[in-house]
Amino acid sequence: MGHSIKRKEDARFIQGKGNYVDDIKLPGMLHMDIVRSPYAYAKIKSINAEEALKIPGVIAVVTGKDLEKYNLHWMPTLMSDTQMVLPTDTVMYQAQEVAAVIATDRYAARDGKEAVMVDYEPMKPVIDPFKALDEDAPVLRTDKEGKTDNHIWNWSVGDKDATDKLFNSADVTVKEQMHIPRIHVASIETCGCVADYNKVENHLTMYMTTQAPHAIRTVIALVAGHVGLTEEKVRVISPDIGGGFGGKVPVYPGYVIAIAVSFLVGKPVKWIEDRSENLQADSFARDYHITAEMAATKEGKIQGIRFKLLADHGYTDAAANPSKFPTGLFSICTGSYDYGTAYLEADAVYTNKPPGGVAYRCSFRVTEAVHAIERITDRLALEIGKDPAQLRFENFIKKEDFPWKSPTGWEYDSGDYHAGLEKAMNAIEYDALRKEQEEKRARGEMMGIGISTFTEIVGAGPSKDFDILGIKMFDSAEIRVHPTGKAIARFGTKSQGQGHETTYAQIIAEELGIPAEHIQIEEGDTDTAPYGLGTYASRSTPTAGAAAAVAARKLRDKARKIAAYLLEVSEEDLEWEPGKFFVKGAPEKTKTIQEIVFAAYTNHPQGMEAGFEATHYYDPPNLTFPSGAYICVVDIDKETCEIKVRRFVAIDDCGNIINPMIVQGQVHGGLTQGIAPAMYEELIYDEDGNILNGTLMDYLVPTAVESPSWETGHTITPSPHHPIGAKGVGESPTVGAPPAIANAIVDALSPYGITHMDIPITPYKVWKVLKEKGVVE
Amino acid sequence: MRTTIKKDFSVEEPIEKVWDYLANPTKIVTCVPGASITEEIDDRNFKGEVSMKFGPVKAKYSGEITIQELDVEAKNMVMKGRGLDSKGKGSADMIMNGNLKPTEKGTDVSFSMEVSIIGMLAQFGSRLINDVSDQLLNQFVTNFKAKLAGSDEVDNSINAGAMVGTIVKNKIGGLFGGKKEKEQEEQKPKEETSK
Repeated sequence: MGHSIKRKEDARFIQGKGNYVDDIKLPGMLHMDIVRSPYAYAKIKSINAEEALKIPGVIAVVTGKDLEKYNLHWMPTLMSDTQMVLPTDTVMYQAQEVAAVIATDRYAARDGKEAVMVDYEPMKPVIDPFKALDEDAPVLRTDKEGKTDNHIWNWSVGDKDATDKLFNSADVTVKEQMHIPRIHVASIETCGCVADYNKVENHLTMYMTTQAPHAIRTVIALVAGHVGLTEEKVRVISPDIGGGFGGKVPVYPGYVIAIAVSFLVGKPVKWIEDRSENLQADSFARDYHITAEMAATKEGKIQGIRFKLLADHGYTDAAANPSKFPTGLFSICTGSYDYGTAYLEADAVYTNKPPGGVAYRCSFRVTEAVHAIERITDRLALEIGKDPAQLRFENFIKKEDFPWKSPTGWEYDSGDYHAGLEKAMNAIEYDALRKEQEEKRARGEMMGIGISTFTEIVGAGPSKDFDILGIKMFDSAEIRVHPTGKAIARFGTKSQGQGHETTYAQIIAEELGIPAEHIQIEEGDTDTAPYGLGTYASRSTPTAGAAAAVAARKLRDKARKIAAYLLEVSEEDLEWEPGKFFVKGAPEKTKTIQEIVFAAYTNHPQGMEAGFEATHYYDPPNLTFPSGAYICVVDIDKETCEIKVRRFVAIDDCGNIINPMIVQGQVHGGLTQGIAPAMYEELIYDEDGNILNGTLMDYLVPTAVESPSWETGHTITPSPHHPIGAKGVGESPTVGAPPAIANAIVDALSPYGITHMDIPITPYKVWKVLKEKGVVE
Repeated sequence: MRTTIKKDFSVEEPIEKVWDYLANPTKIVTCVPGASITEEIDDRNFKGEVSMKFGPVKAKYSGEITIQELDVEAKNMVMKGRGLDSKGKGSADMIMNGNLKPTEKGTDVSFSMEVSIIGMLAQFGSRLINDVSDQLLNQFVTNFKAKLAGSDEVDNSINAGAMVGTIVKNKIGGLFGGKKEKEQEEQKPKEETSK
């Protein structure tokens, strides 16, 4: 623990020896391509496959009507909503799957796709989520019996009456309307699968890009159990994954079509999305409209918040939230501040846009929550004329007040927010920057400093509150130590680049004293790994990492018994130091872990079970609450309105650190994915439901060129309830960075009466707002 | 994706002569680049085709053209076209309005065109739709003037390569040539996405 050992998995990745889904080639494998809808909302009058079937190599064109015969034309979403696999009569969003072309090679499949003629009758789509709730808005989900509007759900938490009362009487209230734009994870590897159904064995092997192989196996069994694919007949293998970020949690129609076709023809079927399909059709993230309000005393003591949300889920609620929390963990929106009154109400609507609402590198809507609270906190600072850092210091929850109960029902485990912000301010030389800003403002130059002091909520989660489709959100580890003292450990999670093969090995090494290099980590094969809900929401270290530690401790207990037997002393007389037990007072009398393990197979005590294996399913007692203090400095050019991030300091507190290098890598990547929605990314739809930036030519993913030189650091406040005191870090930077950048830009523009700007804040938006205020021509 | 563009120009021809051309669908449609009339349903309704090519995306819209308004007094013509892509990749709608005003020298002609495109072409062409439409209307006006001048043959073929070239030239020309006189009213996409 705490060592920056090099990532074990990198040996294959840097040599191009990773094994991704598209690398899998099976004998007789067929290829699939998907015909997609150009319309956001249309009736399908007919699908004509005649020309497509004439193309050499094309063997079938599958439509919703074909799947309907087997009742496979629909599927459940992870939020217990329903979704078409292929439509039988109506398309609900642009790029929706309409038909699948099966061919003997990839090129014939693509040619076939171009040749399929679909006759549509376009209808007027509902694109604006606010208009979706109008009384005269057409009801989109006519497939749902008795549905009379486009409303999906309403959810609230907190004390409404007390909050309303506070807002009626508070000295100061501030309010902003915000939109957290619809964005896409845009992972470097698109989604895909190879469905391999063996008719003789009645067995399906499904190679696919999934972050949650076991959950997927259960979903497949739920959808296809009635045709004989019960859960023991299904094996899901998730090979190396080129980035997931939440986008590889849902089940996409393409996977199900591939399974259906393989099931019907008895041959393996490969489906790999192209880049535009990935961007246009796969689950989006965010798309929350937020009305954020904050109440405070005139001195700047925060007293309460009131948030109202509208979630645009597109055609179906295909989010990936724990069942009890349709708006995810947005209720962490109380932030890092000490007050007792809060009320949050959320509504969700259907529109003619692609479905989704996945947790893009964030623990179920934490990004949206953190953006809203950090923006509105800055808004309050501006309102009462107090430095935003000072306002935060005065309102932080104090470290001695943990565990702290939030007005929305969470119990924050630990934190030291003052220390984090102090460290960030010292690193960036905050006071000097404010002085510089004052001088620049006097000269009419635009410079801004933005702070974000966020609290995350990760590691879902305790079984009393957390499940997906009823399955509790524990996670698991199984450790097998071989007679020679080398180990293999398997997990219910699935790395997509996080470095599990290294960090899990380090945890076990720390607990058992077996060198990390001799601990093989395996994930992603449901036939061998213990059941778990997968990797997302920064949950791997808090859940599976904890499971590894506990399983290793079970083995250490067994090792103590064997050592006592070998050394002919009682267990109480033994002392442990990593790698060996020795007799108290006689340190020369030792047994190494390797000797003990060997004995477990060759000379184990009478009455003891032979072998050296342990499994643990870890059900966390609470979530973990990582935090961070980020400060960003921007300069805005008055002529071009170009925004330059001059400096960005990120101080993270993720509790005890397993591998500092991996944490730093995670933070760098996350910060870059944080600058993305703040300044560049947004999926834009016009009033007809056309996506206007459906390729990476128009959808701007930041590259190394756009990324500033990140300055990172940390404070350490261990989690009191986690076996190794770790909290999870993968998502903190994605969550914490956008408000720091937005706050810095608004700070730069605040002398001109600007109090808020919606992200992504582009030079064009800055120019427009400055023009409105008469600052530029 | 929608855009509205306008062109105003003057011709030294008497208004009645210009109106004769404007009010005659077979003459007017053959001035539209890429368009052809395939069937005359009655004197106000026609079946026709419009082809477009844009880089990797080809679209051939077939549909109906309707003369919605033909006001001899006000010298106002409204023509509506609606087409579906023959391969099911999307649709296009167009409303063209032509209006004539007599002047001392001849006639003031005012054209406006509202184009709305759904589907693949909209996705790929969103950044260029204004320019493409502008180019289409320019070519239309050239053809219209030529017809008026008595020419039987006009170029109403659509040449995407040349068109993109012209657009790029105009764009770059606009960048370096200071303020370009813009005749069109642009309806910008919701937000500018390029840096």
